[in-house]
Amino acid sequence: MDRESHSTGSDEARLEALFKAYRAACPDPEPSANFMPLLWQGIEARQSVSIVFSRLARNLMTAALALSILLGLVVSFSGSHVGQLPSESYVELLAEEHYSQSLDYYDPLRTTPATEQH
Amino acid sequence: MLVDYELIRRAREGDGPAFNELVAAYRKRILGTIARLIGRPEDVEDVGQEVFLRLYYSLDQLRSAEVFEPWLYRLTANAAYDYLRKRRRRLESRMADLSEQQVVLADAVAGEKVDRDEGQKKRIREAVDALLDRVSEEDRVLLTLKEVEGLSLKELGQIYHVKENALKVRLFRARQRVLKAFTAAHKTVAGVSSSR
Repeated sequence: MDRESHSTGSDEARLEALFKAYRAACPDPEPSANFMPLLWQGIEARQSVSIVFSRLARNLMTAALALSILLGLVVSFSGSHVGQLPSESYVELLAEEHYSQSLDYYDPLRTTPATEQH
Repeated sequence: MLVDYELIRRAREGDGPAFNELVAAYRKRILGTIARLIGRPEDVEDVGQEVFLRLYYSLDQLRSAEVFEPWLYRLTANAAYDYLRKRRRRLESRMADLSEQQVVLADAVAGEKVDRDEGQKKRIREAVDALLDRVSEEDRVLLTLKEVEGLSLKELGQIYHVKENALKVRLFRARQRVLKAFTAAHKTVAGVSSSR
Protein backbone atom coordinates (compact mmCIF):
# COMPACT_ATOMS: atom_id res chain seq x y z
CA MET A 1 0.00 0.00 0.00
CA ASP A 2 2.79 2.36 1.04
CA ARG A 3 4.76 1.33 -1.98
CA GLU A 4 1.82 2.03 -4.27
CA SER A 5 1.16 5.48 -2.84
CA HIS A 6 4.87 6.23 -3.02
CA SER A 7 4.86 5.19 -6.68
CA THR A 8 1.81 7.40 -7.39
CA GLY A 9 3.52 10.26 -5.61
CA SER A 10 6.66 9.86 -7.67
CA ASP A 11 4.57 9.66 -10.84
CA GLU A 12 2.88 12.92 -9.86
CA ALA A 13 6.26 14.54 -9.33
CA ARG A 14 7.47 13.21 -12.69
CA LEU A 15 4.35 14.48 -14.43
CA GLU A 16 4.79 17.90 -12.88
CA ALA A 17 8.41 17.99 -14.00
CA LEU A 18 7.38 16.91 -17.48
CA PHE A 19 4.84 19.75 -17.68
CA LYS A 20 7.50 22.23 -16.56
CA ALA A 21 9.92 20.91 -19.17
CA TYR A 22 7.16 21.15 -21.77
CA ARG A 23 6.62 24.82 -20.86
CA ALA A 24 10.33 25.45 -21.37
CA ALA A 25 10.39 23.42 -24.60
CA CYS A 26 7.52 25.45 -26.07
CA PRO A 27 8.49 29.12 -25.93
CA ASP A 28 6.16 31.74 -27.45
CA PRO A 29 6.85 31.58 -31.20
CA GLU A 30 7.57 34.71 -33.21
CA PRO A 31 4.64 35.50 -35.50
CA SER A 32 5.49 35.41 -39.18
CA ALA A 33 5.81 38.66 -41.12
CA ASN A 34 2.57 38.10 -43.02
CA PHE A 35 0.47 37.37 -39.94
CA MET A 36 -1.41 40.68 -40.11
CA PRO A 37 -1.91 40.74 -43.92
CA LEU A 38 -3.25 37.18 -43.78
CA LEU A 39 -5.54 38.09 -40.89
CA TRP A 40 -7.02 41.04 -42.79
CA GLN A 41 -7.39 38.85 -45.87
CA GLY A 42 -9.36 36.38 -43.75
CA ILE A 43 -11.53 39.16 -42.30
CA GLU A 44 -12.26 40.59 -45.75
CA ALA A 45 -12.96 37.13 -47.22
CA ARG A 46 -15.49 36.44 -44.48
CA GLN A 47 -17.02 39.87 -44.93
CA SER A 48 -17.40 39.30 -48.69
CA VAL A 49 -19.06 35.93 -48.04
CA SER A 50 -21.53 37.55 -45.68
CA ILE A 51 -22.15 40.35 -48.21
CA VAL A 52 -22.88 37.77 -50.93
CA PHE A 53 -25.29 35.96 -48.60
CA SER A 54 -27.06 39.14 -47.57
CA ARG A 55 -27.43 40.15 -51.25
CA LEU A 56 -28.78 36.72 -52.09
CA ALA A 57 -31.22 36.89 -49.21
CA ARG A 58 -32.35 40.37 -50.26
CA ASN A 59 -32.89 39.23 -53.87
CA LEU A 60 -34.82 36.20 -52.74
CA MET A 61 -36.99 38.38 -50.53
CA THR A 62 -37.73 40.76 -53.41
CA ALA A 63 -38.59 37.85 -55.70
CA ALA A 64 -40.89 36.34 -53.07
CA LEU A 65 -42.61 39.69 -52.59
CA ALA A 66 -43.08 40.14 -56.35
CA LEU A 67 -44.45 36.62 -56.67
CA SER A 68 -46.91 37.10 -53.85
CA ILE A 69 -48.13 40.39 -55.41
CA LEU A 70 -48.52 38.62 -58.76
CA LEU A 71 -50.44 35.76 -57.16
CA GLY A 72 -52.61 38.27 -55.32
CA LEU A 73 -53.42 39.99 -58.62
CA VAL A 74 -54.24 36.69 -60.32
CA VAL A 75 -56.53 35.66 -57.49
CA SER A 76 -58.32 39.01 -57.41
CA PHE A 77 -58.72 38.97 -61.22
CA SER A 78 -60.14 35.46 -61.27
CA GLY A 79 -62.35 36.40 -58.32
CA SER A 80 -64.28 38.84 -60.54
CA HIS A 81 -65.49 35.88 -62.65
CA VAL A 82 -66.94 34.01 -59.74
CA GLY A 83 -70.49 34.98 -60.82
CA GLN A 84 -70.23 32.90 -63.96
CA LEU A 85 -69.46 29.79 -62.08
CA PRO A 86 -72.30 27.49 -60.98
CA SER A 87 -73.54 28.36 -57.56
CA GLU A 88 -74.32 24.77 -56.56
CA SER A 89 -71.81 22.68 -54.78
CA TYR A 90 -70.10 19.77 -56.45
CA VAL A 91 -72.23 17.25 -54.58
CA GLU A 92 -75.43 19.06 -55.62
CA LEU A 93 -74.33 19.05 -59.28
CA LEU A 94 -73.59 15.35 -59.15
CA ALA A 95 -76.90 14.61 -57.54
CA GLU A 96 -78.72 16.59 -60.22
CA GLU A 97 -76.91 14.85 -63.04
CA HIS A 98 -77.67 11.38 -61.78
CA TYR A 99 -81.19 12.15 -60.69
CA SER A 100 -82.87 10.10 -63.43
CA GLN A 101 -80.63 7.10 -62.75
CA SER A 102 -81.31 7.22 -59.09
CA LEU A 103 -85.05 7.15 -59.81
CA ASP A 104 -84.61 3.80 -61.54
CA TYR A 105 -83.41 2.37 -58.32
CA TYR A 106 -85.94 3.88 -56.02
CA ASP A 107 -89.18 3.88 -58.08
CA PRO A 108 -91.63 1.14 -57.01
CA LEU A 109 -91.83 -1.88 -59.30
CA ARG A 110 -95.13 -1.91 -61.23
CA THR A 111 -96.50 -5.26 -62.28
CA THR A 112 -99.74 -5.97 -64.14
CA PRO A 113 -101.71 -9.03 -62.97
CA ALA A 114 -101.99 -11.88 -65.58
CA THR A 115 -105.78 -11.91 -65.62
CA GLU A 116 -105.92 -8.31 -66.75
CA GLN A 117 -103.72 -9.14 -69.74
CA HIS A 118 -106.17 -11.62 -71.21
CA MET B 1 -3.25 43.84 -19.24
CA LEU B 2 -0.96 44.45 -22.17
CA VAL B 3 -3.06 47.32 -23.52
CA ASP B 4 -5.22 50.06 -22.06
CA TYR B 5 -9.00 49.91 -21.98
CA GLU B 6 -9.30 52.85 -24.36
CA LEU B 7 -7.63 50.84 -27.15
CA ILE B 8 -10.05 47.95 -26.60
CA ARG B 9 -13.01 50.33 -26.70
CA ARG B 10 -11.76 51.84 -29.95
CA ALA B 11 -11.23 48.41 -31.51
CA ARG B 12 -14.71 47.41 -30.39
CA GLU B 13 -16.14 50.42 -32.20
CA GLY B 14 -14.57 49.18 -35.45
CA ASP B 15 -11.35 51.21 -35.45
CA GLY B 16 -9.01 49.20 -37.74
CA PRO B 17 -5.66 50.62 -36.52
CA ALA B 18 -6.75 50.03 -32.90
CA PHE B 19 -7.55 46.41 -33.75
CA ASN B 20 -4.12 46.05 -35.39
CA GLU B 21 -2.48 47.40 -32.25
CA LEU B 22 -4.48 45.02 -30.09
CA VAL B 23 -3.47 42.01 -32.19
CA ALA B 24 0.17 43.11 -32.23
CA ALA B 25 0.16 43.33 -28.42
CA TYR B 26 -1.32 39.89 -27.81
CA ARG B 27 -0.38 37.74 -30.80
CA LYS B 28 2.93 36.42 -29.45
CA ARG B 29 1.42 35.42 -26.13
CA ILE B 30 -1.62 33.84 -27.79
CA LEU B 31 0.50 31.95 -30.33
CA GLY B 32 2.59 30.59 -27.43
CA THR B 33 -0.52 29.41 -25.61
CA ILE B 34 -1.84 27.79 -28.79
CA ALA B 35 1.52 26.07 -29.38
CA ARG B 36 1.33 24.50 -25.94
CA LEU B 37 -2.34 23.66 -26.27
CA ILE B 38 -2.17 21.87 -29.61
CA GLY B 39 1.43 20.63 -29.57
CA ARG B 40 1.98 21.03 -33.31
CA PRO B 41 4.09 24.05 -34.23
CA GLU B 42 3.23 23.83 -37.93
CA ASP B 43 -0.44 24.66 -37.25
CA VAL B 44 0.00 27.35 -34.60
CA GLU B 45 -0.33 30.32 -36.97
CA ASP B 46 -3.49 28.95 -38.58
CA VAL B 47 -5.19 28.53 -35.21
CA GLY B 48 -3.90 31.97 -34.18
CA GLN B 49 -5.47 33.51 -37.29
CA GLU B 50 -8.76 31.85 -36.38
CA VAL B 51 -8.59 33.24 -32.83
CA PHE B 52 -8.08 36.83 -33.97
CA LEU B 53 -10.66 36.43 -36.72
CA ARG B 54 -13.19 35.33 -34.12
CA LEU B 55 -12.06 38.21 -31.93
CA TYR B 56 -12.73 40.70 -34.73
CA TYR B 57 -16.26 39.41 -35.26
CA SER B 58 -17.13 39.06 -31.60
CA LEU B 59 -15.61 42.23 -30.15
CA ASP B 60 -19.00 43.96 -30.24
CA GLN B 61 -20.32 41.29 -27.86
CA LEU B 62 -17.66 42.07 -25.25
CA ARG B 63 -19.45 43.43 -22.18
CA SER B 64 -16.61 45.61 -20.96
CA ALA B 65 -12.94 46.18 -21.68
CA GLU B 66 -12.05 44.86 -18.20
CA VAL B 67 -12.91 41.29 -19.18
CA PHE B 68 -10.99 41.40 -22.45
CA GLU B 69 -8.20 38.99 -21.47
CA PRO B 70 -10.42 36.15 -20.19
CA TRP B 71 -12.52 36.70 -23.32
CA LEU B 72 -9.47 36.32 -25.55
CA TYR B 73 -8.32 33.24 -23.63
CA ARG B 74 -11.79 31.77 -24.00
CA LEU B 75 -11.62 32.28 -27.77
CA THR B 76 -8.15 30.73 -27.78
CA ALA B 77 -9.24 27.69 -25.76
CA ASN B 78 -12.28 27.22 -28.02
CA ALA B 79 -10.24 27.48 -31.22
CA ALA B 80 -7.65 25.02 -29.86
CA TYR B 81 -10.43 22.68 -28.78
CA ASP B 82 -12.03 22.83 -32.26
CA TYR B 83 -8.68 22.18 -33.88
CA LEU B 84 -7.93 19.21 -31.61
CA ARG B 85 -11.35 17.73 -32.21
CA LYS B 86 -11.01 18.06 -35.98
CA ARG B 87 -7.60 16.51 -36.02
CA ARG B 88 -8.23 13.81 -33.51
CA ARG B 89 -6.04 11.05 -34.64
CA ARG B 90 -7.30 7.50 -34.59
CA LEU B 91 -6.16 5.61 -31.53
CA GLU B 92 -4.90 2.76 -33.71
CA SER B 93 -2.63 5.09 -35.64
CA ARG B 94 -1.23 6.41 -32.40
CA MET B 95 1.03 4.40 -30.19
CA ALA B 96 -1.02 2.60 -27.59
CA ASP B 97 1.47 3.77 -25.00
CA LEU B 98 4.23 6.26 -24.81
CA SER B 99 7.31 4.87 -26.45
CA GLU B 100 10.07 3.59 -24.22
CA GLN B 101 12.29 6.40 -25.37
CA GLN B 102 9.71 9.00 -24.38
CA VAL B 103 9.25 7.53 -20.92
CA VAL B 104 13.00 7.36 -20.37
CA LEU B 105 13.15 10.97 -21.46
CA ALA B 106 10.35 11.90 -19.05
CA ASP B 107 12.35 10.25 -16.25
CA ALA B 108 15.46 12.08 -17.29
CA VAL B 109 13.53 15.36 -17.30
CA ALA B 110 12.32 14.64 -13.80
CA GLY B 111 15.92 14.03 -12.72
CA GLU B 112 17.08 17.09 -14.64
CA LYS B 113 19.65 14.97 -16.41
CA VAL B 114 18.96 16.20 -19.89
CA ASP B 115 20.67 18.92 -21.73
CA ARG B 116 17.71 20.63 -23.35
CA ASP B 117 18.89 21.17 -26.84
CA GLU B 118 16.49 21.47 -29.76
CA GLY B 119 16.25 17.74 -30.41
CA GLN B 120 15.40 17.01 -26.81
CA LYS B 121 12.90 19.85 -26.68
CA LYS B 122 11.22 18.33 -29.69
CA ARG B 123 11.10 14.95 -27.97
CA ILE B 124 9.63 16.52 -24.82
CA ARG B 125 6.94 18.16 -26.96
CA GLU B 126 6.21 14.83 -28.61
CA ALA B 127 6.09 13.01 -25.28
CA VAL B 128 3.62 15.46 -23.77
CA ASP B 129 1.63 15.59 -26.99
CA ALA B 130 1.36 11.78 -27.00
CA LEU B 131 0.41 11.76 -23.33
CA LEU B 132 -2.26 14.44 -23.71
CA ASP B 133 -3.59 12.73 -26.83
CA ARG B 134 -4.71 9.91 -24.57
CA VAL B 135 -7.22 12.08 -22.72
CA SER B 136 -10.18 14.06 -24.03
CA GLU B 137 -9.75 17.45 -25.67
CA GLU B 138 -11.55 19.09 -22.73
CA ASP B 139 -9.10 17.59 -20.24
CA ARG B 140 -6.17 18.48 -22.44
CA VAL B 141 -7.12 22.13 -22.81
CA LEU B 142 -8.03 22.58 -19.14
CA LEU B 143 -4.88 20.88 -17.83
CA THR B 144 -2.60 22.74 -20.21
CA LEU B 145 -4.08 26.08 -19.19
CA LYS B 146 -3.61 25.22 -15.51
CA GLU B 147 -0.41 23.18 -15.39
CA VAL B 148 1.56 24.57 -18.30
CA GLU B 149 0.23 28.09 -18.76
CA GLY B 150 0.02 28.54 -15.01
CA LEU B 151 -3.38 30.23 -14.97
CA SER B 152 -4.99 30.59 -11.56
CA LEU B 153 -8.33 29.06 -10.60
CA LYS B 154 -9.83 32.55 -10.62
CA GLU B 155 -8.61 33.18 -14.16
CA LEU B 156 -9.84 29.77 -15.29
CA GLY B 157 -13.19 30.50 -13.68
CA GLN B 158 -13.48 33.68 -15.74
CA ILE B 159 -12.58 31.82 -18.92
CA TYR B 160 -14.88 28.85 -18.39
CA HIS B 161 -17.65 30.77 -16.57
CA VAL B 162 -17.58 28.11 -13.89
CA LYS B 163 -17.29 28.41 -10.10
CA GLU B 164 -13.92 27.63 -8.54
CA ASN B 165 -15.16 24.55 -6.68
CA ALA B 166 -16.55 22.99 -9.83
CA LEU B 167 -13.28 23.77 -11.58
CA LYS B 168 -11.27 22.11 -8.82
CA VAL B 169 -13.28 18.93 -9.29
CA ARG B 170 -12.85 19.00 -13.06
CA LEU B 171 -9.14 19.67 -12.73
CA PHE B 172 -8.68 16.88 -10.20
CA ARG B 173 -10.44 14.38 -12.46
CA ALA B 174 -8.51 15.50 -15.54
CA ARG B 175 -5.25 15.25 -13.67
CA GLN B 176 -6.12 11.77 -12.42
CA ARG B 177 -6.83 10.62 -15.96
CA VAL B 178 -3.53 11.98 -17.27
CA LEU B 179 -1.71 10.48 -14.31
CA LYS B 180 -3.32 7.13 -15.00
CA ALA B 181 -2.15 7.25 -18.62
CA PHE B 182 1.31 8.30 -17.49
CA THR B 183 1.55 5.51 -14.89
CA ALA B 184 0.24 2.94 -17.39
CA ALA B 185 2.93 4.01 -19.85
CA HIS B 186 5.59 3.61 -17.19
CA LYS B 187 4.34 0.15 -16.25
CA THR B 188 4.33 -0.96 -19.88
CA VAL B 189 7.87 0.21 -20.39
CA ALA B 190 9.00 -1.37 -17.12
CA GLY B 191 7.39 -4.66 -18.21
CA VAL B 192 9.07 -4.54 -21.60
CA SER B 193 12.45 -3.68 -20.04
CA SER B 194 12.28 -6.48 -17.43
CA SER B 195 11.25 -9.11 -19.99
CA ARG B 196 14.42 -8.45 -22.02
